[in-house]
Amino acid sequence: MQFRGRKHVVAVGGVVAAAVALAACSSSSPSSSSASGTINASGSSFQNTFQQAAISAFKSVDSGITVNYASVGSGTGRSNLAAGTVLMAGSDSPIPSSDLSTFKGKTVLYFPVVIGPISLAYNLPGIATLKLSPTVIAKIFQGQITTWNDPAITALNPGVTLPSTAITTAVRSDSSGTTQNFTLFLQNAAPSVWTLGSSSTIKWPSTARAGAQNGGVASIVKSTSGAIGYVDYTDAVASGLKSAEVQNKAGDFVAPTAAAASTDAADATIASNLTFEAAWASSNAAAYPVTYQSWDLVYAKQPNANDATILKAYLGYLLGAGQKLLPALYYAPLPSGLDQKAVAQLSQITG
Amino acid sequence: MAVTTQQSVDLREPSGWRRAKNQIVTGGMWFAFLCMLVPLGFVLVTVIAKGASTISWQFLTNGTIPPNILPASIGGMGAAVVGTLVITGLASVIAIPLGILGAIYISEYGTNNPLAAFISFLADVMTGVPSIVMGLFIFTIWVLHYGYSGLAGAFALACLMLPIVIRSAYEMLRLVPNELREASYALGATKSRVTLTVVLPAAIGGIVSGALLAVARAAGETAPLLFTILTVESTNANVFSGANTALSTQIFVNATQPYVGAQDRAWGSALTLIAIAFILMIAARLTTARFTRYSR
Amino acid sequence: MSTTVKTGPAIPAGPVRGLSLRRPLGDRAFALLALAAGLVVLVILVLIAVTMTQQSTSWFSSEGWSGVFSTDWDPAHGKLGAMAFVYGTVITSIIAIAISFPVSVGVALLLTEVVPRRVAQPIVYVIDLLAVVPSVVWGLWGFLILVPWLQTIYAHIASAVNGIWILGNLFGFLNGNYVSGASFFTCGLILAIMITPIVTSLSREVIATVPATDKEGAYALGATRWEMIRGSVWPHSQTGIVGATLLGLGRAMGETIAAALVIGSSPTITSHLFTPGYSMPSVIANQFGESSGVFRAALIGMGVLLFLLTIIVNLVARAVVERNARRMRGTA
Repeated sequence: MQFRGRKHVVAVGGVVAAAVALAACSSSSPSSSSASGTINASGSSFQNTFQQAAISAFKSVDSGITVNYASVGSGTGRSNLAAGTVLMAGSDSPIPSSDLSTFKGKTVLYFPVVIGPISLAYNLPGIATLKLSPTVIAKIFQGQITTWNDPAITALNPGVTLPSTAITTAVRSDSSGTTQNFTLFLQNAAPSVWTLGSSSTIKWPSTARAGAQNGGVASIVKSTSGAIGYVDYTDAVASGLKSAEVQNKAGDFVAPTAAAASTDAADATIASNLTFEAAWASSNAAAYPVTYQSWDLVYAKQPNANDATILKAYLGYLLGAGQKLLPALYYAPLPSGLDQKAVAQLSQITG
Repeated sequence: MAVTTQQSVDLREPSGWRRAKNQIVTGGMWFAFLCMLVPLGFVLVTVIAKGASTISWQFLTNGTIPPNILPASIGGMGAAVVGTLVITGLASVIAIPLGILGAIYISEYGTNNPLAAFISFLADVMTGVPSIVMGLFIFTIWVLHYGYSGLAGAFALACLMLPIVIRSAYEMLRLVPNELREASYALGATKSRVTLTVVLPAAIGGIVSGALLAVARAAGETAPLLFTILTVESTNANVFSGANTALSTQIFVNATQPYVGAQDRAWGSALTLIAIAFILMIAARLTTARFTRYSR
Repeated sequence: MSTTVKTGPAIPAGPVRGLSLRRPLGDRAFALLALAAGLVVLVILVLIAVTMTQQSTSWFSSEGWSGVFSTDWDPAHGKLGAMAFVYGTVITSIIAIAISFPVSVGVALLLTEVVPRRVAQPIVYVIDLLAVVPSVVWGLWGFLILVPWLQTIYAHIASAVNGIWILGNLFGFLNGNYVSGASFFTCGLILAIMITPIVTSLSREVIATVPATDKEGAYALGATRWEMIRGSVWPHSQTGIVGATLLGLGRAMGETIAAALVIGSSPTITSHLFTPGYSMPSVIANQFGESSGVFRAALIGMGVLLFLLTIIVNLVARAVVERNARRMRGTA
């Protein structure tokens, strides 16, 4: 199974390597090069590509600290943090209230580290741009709109001749934060139409084709004419897939880009513990509404001073120089106001 | 005197339809063998074709697994190779002696012993326990208290290997003729002496080859490791503490990535893993051929 | 004069230790060691059963027995019924056995009855090679190569049999023109490939216990090879082969990684084999990462169900094989 993005990906890889080198050289944060230790982190697979690049670049900043990030899913990441088997958990959503008791009353700090668009990737040969509204997307994924030349879709795309091909929806077979936030967007944007709820696992209609991880969904879309699926933007680009333009709150159709995602997140209501919902958050005309976020969770009170020091060093890097890695990876950096609040929160980590 | 001449009847060849049925069935058996050969060939050809270009000394030894984005020519899976070797090694050290002792218990101390019969039955049941259940089990009782480590992974693999080693060692011990044991007893040896110095050496060839096959199976298992080692990117030769990684889990994680580099690394790792398993299998066959004294 | 020489008891030449009834310390220690090793198996199994049941109680208590076995699986709305997964596990295992049984028995008979020793060696190597390929490699190959290839084949078969009575229900389209490479049948196929080596070796062992006199007697009466197999080998070994197949079934039910990648991940109960389905080990592997609370308890609970199911299958297999062995010993 060859992804046509081979040359593209090599180019991306080259850009990343260059960006990594650049970030390392230009790092001006006072690196605590005397600190050493190992940070074991696990959680969200959405963050995985970013974490891998950051870990690799961080070695040049502070070679004494080894960071390991395992992409096991936000749920397991959170439960690992609760059990104390990792120092840091990556999570695409806040801790559900039903799980709070597992943290035994200890304060958990949320550090937003990355924003990213979810792409509606489609496979329609010859159709260069596709405009979709949240209501139409909801109906497509609920199996209520079944062909591409349905009036609801053609109404949004004047001047484009859509084929009568049947729509094949591609969804995740494994539970995922991407699913959770995509359905959160649908719940927020089309509440009267969307009935399947918002969760990391959804009971999709039986006509939906399931693939494992973003890569699995991307490969279904790529190999099936008339398919549409929801994929993290980074993976859609890596697979060479086209993304649809989605209508935002202002009524404009916006394509997924890093800038559009940041614009959307900038208008989200930030709670005092830095949690927020980026999906369908902004009324800005340039905002891409299907955007989501990921946090790194750590305990405020660390078991020892060294753990506090190395966590502050690595999180500080992620919030500072690490943000420069994001555009090349097709993520969006944090809006600057949010970034500042997160950096200020670093001081609450004590050991 | 009249000489009666009899028509010579060819007693060797059966008549038409019987012969045909025989040939059809024999053909069917060869076809069954072909059915086995085809997927094996298919998989080997695919893995070799896709993985061979990725394999290099650097791939096998480079200590840090690079980000998925980077192509396969950068970095390598050395961390996973080390992980697989140390975790499987520790699991073997735990499971093989325990398994051989267990088999000795069932076979040597098992006559008229209902407990031994029960344990033999339990060992059979244990061979059927799904590997994911072993992984979840170790996750629940060990990882949640002591964290992710190569040790936890080794425990999970040892749970998987134990019943296999017990079963194969038991079959080998059973084949040792009783006369050997009786002769040793007649010379005044104690039971432990008989077992250790006579029975075990007689069966050792088969026991070792069975153990090697169990190791090969463990090296390729993924599900028990998914929940116990955390699959990290850096080499961790300390199997007792700290999260680790292994070839099998890396293949599983990489297989579903959209990045070509990650997929290439998955194929390269698959080839490496198959090579390790084959080497162990060939070692097992050679041991059987050279050292087995008693076989069926 | 006769002198009676009183002979006393024989005086031993050197020091002698009396034959005591107590075994030497080293011997007893070794026996205890062996017993402890055997008990480890018992301890592990008990621990597995206990801890996993403990972790899954919240599922059983919140759903109740009717909920646990309902067909409604919708974690987003709190519905956690496991029936679809039990169905998928059973169906894929049956497909695996249906494909693997003839192949395994065929090859086992080939090795024991047909080929001479020299040719048997490479065939045994092939079986070993098949056994040693790691399950994740089967999954990788299945997911990336087999699934797309089978998709087109399924589409052809489905359009050919659609509407025909039983075949249409088994191999036809479910809704519209929809068949998937990742489906019940593909999962069963991959499982069959994986369990064939075990079933073959076990069947070989069973067939090898058929007394040579019976076989030679059949040949002496002029039977062809097939008639000899049908008349001498099969009656002796049928229960043993069935037992071996059941053991393979136990393995097929528990196989996780390869199944998770090719089964299609859609909890549906349908007779159409070319549509995506789900099974217990697959759902655990796929969904454990993001699960928490009652959802996680449900997944662990399914692990418990799987454990029980494989125990039952192994019990039955063992009983069947034992019966065969007992009959063999009786007639020896």
